[in-house]
Amino acid sequence: MAGAVIDLTEPRRQSPLAIVLLGLRAVRSLGIVQIALALFFIVRGAADGRLVLVGLVVVAGFVGISLLSWWRYTFQLVDGELVVTKGILRTDRLTVGVGRIQSIAIEQELLHRLTGLVKVVVDTAGSAQAEFTIDAVERPVAEELRRRATVVGAFTATVGASDVATPQGAVAATERIVFRHTPRRLAIAALTMSPWAGIALLVPLIAVADQVLEPFGEQLSDVAPDVDVDSFGWWIAPAAVVAVVIFVILLNLGRVFLADWQLTLRTDDDTMRRTSGLLSLTSTTSSVDRVQVLTSRQNPLQHRVGLQNVQLSNAGAGDMRLIGCSDGEFATTATLAGLAPVGDLALDRRIHPAEIWLDVRNTALLAAVAAGAGLLLVGWWALAAFVVVPVVWWATRRRVRNSRWSLGSEFATSSRVISSSTKQSVLRKTNAVRVTQTIFERRRGLATVEMVTAAGIVTVGMVPIEEADAVRDVILHGVETDRRAWM
Amino acid sequence: MADPFSNEPIRVDHLPQLHAHAFVSVDPRYVWGRLAGLAVTTVVVIAVAVLVAVQGDNVVAPSAVGGGIVLLLALVAVVSILESRRLAYQLREHDVSLRGGVIQHRVETIPFSRIQHVSVGRGLIERWLGLATLEVSSAGPDISVPGLSVADADRIKQVVAERAGVADVTDEGQHGEPQASMRLPPPPWPAP
Repeated sequence: MAGAVIDLTEPRRQSPLAIVLLGLRAVRSLGIVQIALALFFIVRGAADGRLVLVGLVVVAGFVGISLLSWWRYTFQLVDGELVVTKGILRTDRLTVGVGRIQSIAIEQELLHRLTGLVKVVVDTAGSAQAEFTIDAVERPVAEELRRRATVVGAFTATVGASDVATPQGAVAATERIVFRHTPRRLAIAALTMSPWAGIALLVPLIAVADQVLEPFGEQLSDVAPDVDVDSFGWWIAPAAVVAVVIFVILLNLGRVFLADWQLTLRTDDDTMRRTSGLLSLTSTTSSVDRVQVLTSRQNPLQHRVGLQNVQLSNAGAGDMRLIGCSDGEFATTATLAGLAPVGDLALDRRIHPAEIWLDVRNTALLAAVAAGAGLLLVGWWALAAFVVVPVVWWATRRRVRNSRWSLGSEFATSSRVISSSTKQSVLRKTNAVRVTQTIFERRRGLATVEMVTAAGIVTVGMVPIEEADAVRDVILHGVETDRRAWM
Repeated sequence: MADPFSNEPIRVDHLPQLHAHAFVSVDPRYVWGRLAGLAVTTVVVIAVAVLVAVQGDNVVAPSAVGGGIVLLLALVAVVSILESRRLAYQLREHDVSLRGGVIQHRVETIPFSRIQHVSVGRGLIERWLGLATLEVSSAGPDISVPGLSVADADRIKQVVAERAGVADVTDEGQHGEPQASMRLPPPPWPAP
C-alpha cells in the first residue's frame, strides 16, 4: 500500500456506511421471528393508519440509534493499545494491548464490496466472541491496523479477504499459497459432505408455513384441495426421498460455494492464512503458536474420493475450517501448524474392549425401559426397541477395534465407526490434565484421561489406570519443561 | 559457554509422579458448610409443604412431595459427606492438582505456567465457618478448591501467584496492594 501515512493515534470514526450496517444489526438483534410477526401484523392491518405510524416511529428510532452509535464509536491506537470508545447513554472505553490481540479479521460482505470498504473484527481470546468490531472502514486504515498488530508480535490474526479481492491488498512478500480449491474440488467436497445442517435451517419455515400463507387467503390445505392420498402409487415414497436428496444436495452446494469459494491457504514463516467466500469474503490468519488442536473428519464418501475436512482450533474466535483437503494438503497443514502428519504418528495404543459391554448394557437398559413403557401403548411391538441393541454392539465394537492413540511429543487419537476422525495436539498446548474414573471403570481398573487445551480437549477413555496416570505424568513433564510459546 | 546438547531417552517411570498419598484433604469443617446449606433447604421445603397442607384440603399430596424432596436432600447429604472426604489438593513445584468426585473420581492438574489468574472467595457460610475457596483459572478449565482455612487459602494463593507469575486477585476483586506510585492522589475536597 503506497501513499499517505495513516495516523491511527487520533480517534477515528467508521465510514458513514457503518450507520446502515449498525441499523441492520440493531434490526437483526430483535430476532427474525419478531420482525416477521411485526411485518405480518402491519401488512394485515395496512388500512389502520395507527399501525403504519407505529411502524414509522420504530424505523425512525432505529435510524436515530444507528446514527448515534456511529457518532459515538471511535477507535485509535495509543501507546501500543487499541482503544475503542462507544455507547450512547453511557460511554464504554475498551482497551486491549496490541500484543494481546489473538486475531484481526478483515472481512468484506456484500455491502462492503459495493462500497470498497471492509469490516475489521478484533479478538483477544478473552471470550468466545470477538471483542471489537469496526463495521465499515476504509481498506488502508484496516490494513494499517493489521500491520501494526502484526509488527508487535505473534498473534492469531483473522485477516482480510481483502488481500484476495483487490490488487492493493498488502500481501506479505514471503507469503506463499499452500493450496487453493478449484470449483470442481469444492463441488466434490459439497457432494460428499453431510447436508443435514442445511435442512435444519428450513425447519422453522416449514413449521410456520401455514401462518405465512394465511393472510394471503390460502391455507396450505387449499393449495392442494381434495387430494386423495390413496390415489398415489407405490413410487411416491421413493420419489419423495429422491426429491429431498436432490434438494439437500443443491442446498449444500449453494452453502459451500457461498462460504468456501476459492478456499485458499497461505503461509509465511510464522502464520497461516485462510481466505474464502463468494459474496462475503473472509480471511482468517493464525500464527502457528496459536493453533491448539488439529482435527480431521472423513466420511465414507470422502474416503472414496480422498478428501477430508480439517479444522485448526485456536484460542479465541479464530478457528480455521478447511473443507475438502487431500491427504497431502492435510499433511502440509499439520506440518505448518507444528504438528506431525497423523499418518507419520505411530498410533499403536488401543482402548479396552470393556467399552463394548458398557455401551451395550446401557442401551439394553434404556431399551428395556422404553419397551416397558411402550407395552401399554403399542403392545408387543414395543419389544422392537431392543433392535437398537445389536446396532450399538456393532458400532461400538467397530469403534473400539478402530480406535488408536499415541503419546509422544503430541497426544493424538483416531477413531472410526462409519466416518473416521483424528485429533491431535502438542503437549505444550496443555492447560490442564484430567484423569477420571466412573464406577464401571473403577471396577475394571480403567480410567479416562483428558488433555485440555485452550481450544479443545483430546480424550482417551477406557485405558488402564496405570497407563492413564503415566500419560498424565508425561504430559505434565512435557508442558512443564517446554519453554516455547504455546499461545 | 553453551550447555552441551543432550537428548537422552527419558523413562516414563523416572518422571515425577502425582502420588495419591501426597494429597491434602480439605478442612473437616467444609462438610458442615455443605450440610448447613442442605439443612436450610430442607427447612424451607418442610415449611412450604406444611403451609400447603394446612391451607388445602389434601394433606397427602404435599406431604408426599415434601417427603420425597427431603429424602432426596438426605441422599444429597450423604453424597456431600462422601465427596467432602474425598476432596483434596496437592501443590507441587510446577502444578496444582485437585482430587474429587464420588460417583466419578477425578484428578485435575493445572501447570503453574498455564495459570491466568488466582483468587480467593468466601461465601456467607464459609465466612461463618472461617473457610475460603481458592479459584485457579487457566485459558482452558478452572479449578476451585473449597474448604480451605483462610490462612491456608491466602498462603496457597500467594505461592501459586508467585510461581505462575500472574496477578494475585483478592476476593474483593482488587489486584493486591497498589504500589505507592499507583495510588490515587488525595481528593481535592476536605474530608468530612
